[in-house]
Amino acid sequence: MNADQVAERARILEGLVTFVTRSFMVEASAIDLDRSLIDQGIIDSFGLMEITTFIENAFGAKIQEQDMTREAFGSMNKMATFVCRRKSGEI
Amino acid sequence: MTETTPSARQPGVTRQRCSRCVLSAPFPNIKFDDEGVCNFCRDEVGARSDDTAIDRGRVRVMDLLAAQKARKATYDAVLCNSGGKDSSYTLKLAVEKYGLTVLSFTLDNGFVAPAARDNIHRVVDALGVDHITVRPALNVFKPVVRAASLLPIYGEQSLTRISAGCNACISLVNTTALRLALEKDIPFILAGFTLGQIPANGIVYRNHYRFLAESREASMARLRDAVGEEVDRLYEVPDSVIDRAPAYPYNINLLCLESLTEAQILAEVGKLGWKLPSGLDGCSSNCMLNTFNNYVHQRRHGYSPYELELSHLVRKRLMTRSEALAKLADQPLEQLPYLVKSLALSPEDLATLGLLADGQVAG
Repeated sequence: MNADQVAERARILEGLVTFVTRSFMVEASAIDLDRSLIDQGIIDSFGLMEITTFIENAFGAKIQEQDMTREAFGSMNKMATFVCRRKSGEI
Repeated sequence: MTETTPSARQPGVTRQRCSRCVLSAPFPNIKFDDEGVCNFCRDEVGARSDDTAIDRGRVRVMDLLAAQKARKATYDAVLCNSGGKDSSYTLKLAVEKYGLTVLSFTLDNGFVAPAARDNIHRVVDALGVDHITVRPALNVFKPVVRAASLLPIYGEQSLTRISAGCNACISLVNTTALRLALEKDIPFILAGFTLGQIPANGIVYRNHYRFLAESREASMARLRDAVGEEVDRLYEVPDSVIDRAPAYPYNINLLCLESLTEAQILAEVGKLGWKLPSGLDGCSSNCMLNTFNNYVHQRRHGYSPYELELSHLVRKRLMTRSEALAKLADQPLEQLPYLVKSLALSPEDLATLGLLADGQVAG
């Protein structure tokens, strides 16, 4: 990633964290960015669907059926990386 | 200013409640300012963000439904019909406002109030809609409710809007509706959720079942440990059904696109023959088990699972604060002995749930 991409990824991660804290009543400090939100008990599986809708609306990153994997959505950091790569056309 | 109301978890004890909405001190991540107003009421950025999400949801729904008009199908949508006022009104919206051909579906969990069953029949008849009822094996479903009530089956944070027992039931409703949609090639699943019950970004989404199933595997494993392998029969959609379906359906919550008071909804469904059942708690118009599920949630978490939904309605001026408080207080606890007997809870279960200590049931 170049500097612009790093900054963009950080902006996306911040937006995701803000959304999750607002929507699921959790303190940002309580979220482990490297663990699944479901495994942490913060959201259920339908919460994940809500996050995908938020990503499409807020960041304009289209999510296809084949994107719905733990590789892309298994943690907040993975989601931010996925959105960043999708927006840059890398994937 | 501090306003206090009786504690849900500790009878006789008072605790702080927001002076503007009905959220109370035990609610996760809540803070009160000097005026006794909670941070959720003060969150103007979040409110604007919700409005944007609703606008986007509306556009998305209209686009999807418009595309469906060109498609010849036996059914445009399967609607999860609890028999309550909200799903009844959603059915009316689907048929009369959006012109959809709907298959109405009720999951009979064994606790549907007889009056709610009558309402279902009157409303589907009035709207000319096909209807089916699916009754899961209650010798499996009831132990699922028991396990969800007693054990940490679901993530704590995911239970801010819903009780564990209701979550077990709604998950089954969603899975059954998805199976029906896939089997019958129905592109949309409709439900009567309102904003507050679901976040604004949940108005419309594609139901990626395999991903959802993989995501909830940890809670399913806990449920399997507690109840047995037979839970898979309730909560799984067979691969053969998924593989032959052309696409996953969309879940759409049409009621989230409306701004209506309860009185307006009751007036509209009343025209279809729907009548308000008596004897249910203030937050349900169909399910007798809600009283038990709310009680357990309040004992475990200290607040009602309906506080968030009712607070949303209060903020949107669709309900007064006193009306919301009256709904929270309306709990027919005298029904608890019947409900715990029906769920076959043991004296140990009752002690764990605090029912014995509260004197709600005899050991």
